Amino acid sequence: MSGFAQQQADFQRAILEGDAGVLAEILDSTKERRDVLFSVYRHAYGARLVEVMRNENPLLHAYLGDDGFDEMARAYIAARPSRHPNLRWFCQGLPEFLAATEPYRDYRAVGEVSGIETALSDAFDAPDGAVLTLTDFGEVAPDSFKDLVFQPHPSARRLDLKTNAFAIWDALKEETTPPEVETPAEPERLIVWREDLTAMIRPMSAEEAMMWDEACSAVPFGVLCEMAATYDDPDNAAGRAAGYLQGWVSTGMLGGFTIGG
Amino acid sequence: MMLNEWTTVVDGEARSVSEDRPGRRPAAKKPDFLGFGLGLRAQHYTDILDGDPPIDWFEVISENYMIPGGRPLQILDRIRARYPVVMHGVSLSIASTAPPDYDYLKELKALAQRVEPKWISDHLCWTGVHGKNLHDLLPIPYTQESLDHVASRVHLVQDYLCRALTLENVSTYVQFSNSEMTEWEFISELSRRTGCWLLFDVNNVYVSAFNHGYDPYTFLEGIPQDRVVQFHMAGHSHMGTHIIDTHDQPVCDDVWDLYRAALKRFGPVSTIIERDDNIPPLAELLVEMEQTRSAAREILGDAAIPRTQRANG
Repeated sequence: MSGFAQQQADFQRAILEGDAGVLAEILDSTKERRDVLFSVYRHAYGARLVEVMRNENPLLHAYLGDDGFDEMARAYIAARPSRHPNLRWFCQGLPEFLAATEPYRDYRAVGEVSGIETALSDAFDAPDGAVLTLTDFGEVAPDSFKDLVFQPHPSARRLDLKTNAFAIWDALKEETTPPEVETPAEPERLIVWREDLTAMIRPMSAEEAMMWDEACSAVPFGVLCEMAATYDDPDNAAGRAAGYLQGWVSTGMLGGFTIGG
Repeated sequence: MMLNEWTTVVDGEARSVSEDRPGRRPAAKKPDFLGFGLGLRAQHYTDILDGDPPIDWFEVISENYMIPGGRPLQILDRIRARYPVVMHGVSLSIASTAPPDYDYLKELKALAQRVEPKWISDHLCWTGVHGKNLHDLLPIPYTQESLDHVASRVHLVQDYLCRALTLENVSTYVQFSNSEMTEWEFISELSRRTGCWLLFDVNNVYVSAFNHGYDPYTFLEGIPQDRVVQFHMAGHSHMGTHIIDTHDQPVCDDVWDLYRAALKRFGPVSTIIERDDNIPPLAELLVEMEQTRSAAREILGDAAIPRTQRANG
């Protein structure tokens, strides 16, 4: 390793780990000691990343409070130093960190609130893509509808929550007191996507979520209708499936379709 | 005929850089004077797009738009349609001893192809090694070894981007005992060797000069007159024994004085107010921006500094 490379390695270690070795290579100024001057870098490192995390996770910040959030943020920063040149992606691993790390993994709603915020951030600047509209169906022959295979908009992503984190998130967004954590028998199913330029989120029924997941796996619309018939009342299954499809299309959740896969 | 930055005129004929290789690196055409502008900040998107404020040009933070899609890029496209834009990065890490990050460079180049910036700038610093990014503008020793290394990196990046880079002096808080030259000597030689342009951050010169006990006017006099294409003006936080470059305050009187001296030395140079934190309403920054224009008219004369530069957009 060159002298220059070694010096950078020493400098970085002094910031990240508090090692003082690099101070031997630094000068006092006429007005201040070198350790005080170097501490500007040490302080700035943590403070900057905590601020980024607060900005990226405003509702998790509100949920945990200043002290609780900053303690969590410092733990994340220590465990997951940034490895991407763009700070946009620094918080990407936070939901997984919270789900896997003591003490946060014992408070599942914390990680799930973080998961909602992360999913919305991802939808906000997800790749642009075509948006399917109702007029796109105009040239589809009636007997071809059963063969339609849909593609989701690139921003769309499903979440399954084990707690009432969506209600907690919603209360935090409305700046009201969040409810106590509950763990319902059935997971709460959500869809996150971008409509025009706005990141959106809404719950889905178990049936709609099942159909959406299958549609995203390239299952043709006719088969989706058959699945709905086995899932619930078969007499109006086609109507329910058409209703879900109309909702997806009218809110920009689908990118397009092919006929016959 | 339009000449891009990496096209040179030899004996009246325009030749591309590739035709000149191998051999002496051709001198790039100096970018045009853009006038007086601001760093684009999300807090001001609506006021800018709805209000058409009298801003000559915008500097955008490259990384804010190195994202897959969505509203920020759509806003940037709309701004770009109305104003000249310069891309200013914070993560190029040109002075790092880590291997070049080609994923980053690929994204940067793709954004440049979309935005068609007047130039691309970043900082003369490093941001991390060993795969980690500290997201800070870290200092380097000014040695022959570091100069050789940074110059080779500038050549590499300029070749990859097919254009000259513009590099900014950063505020620093420490000096290395093994430095062999001054910062201005290092910057001047780097620009001479590589053909890179210089972004002269007036506040950063003032901050570093105070922290290291040298005269900011000596720094100013040490920078070649023909290499500076942009000024940054910003504020800072004074800690008594040292100054921290917070970019969250109005420009102070001492930095205004240094700016006037920089105008005398470098002439008309594209200038922005760069506020990174504690961001005030757009109207407040416009007042400060107009002060940069007024000072330039005072120093260089009304004929040299038009009241607006937008016709060039």
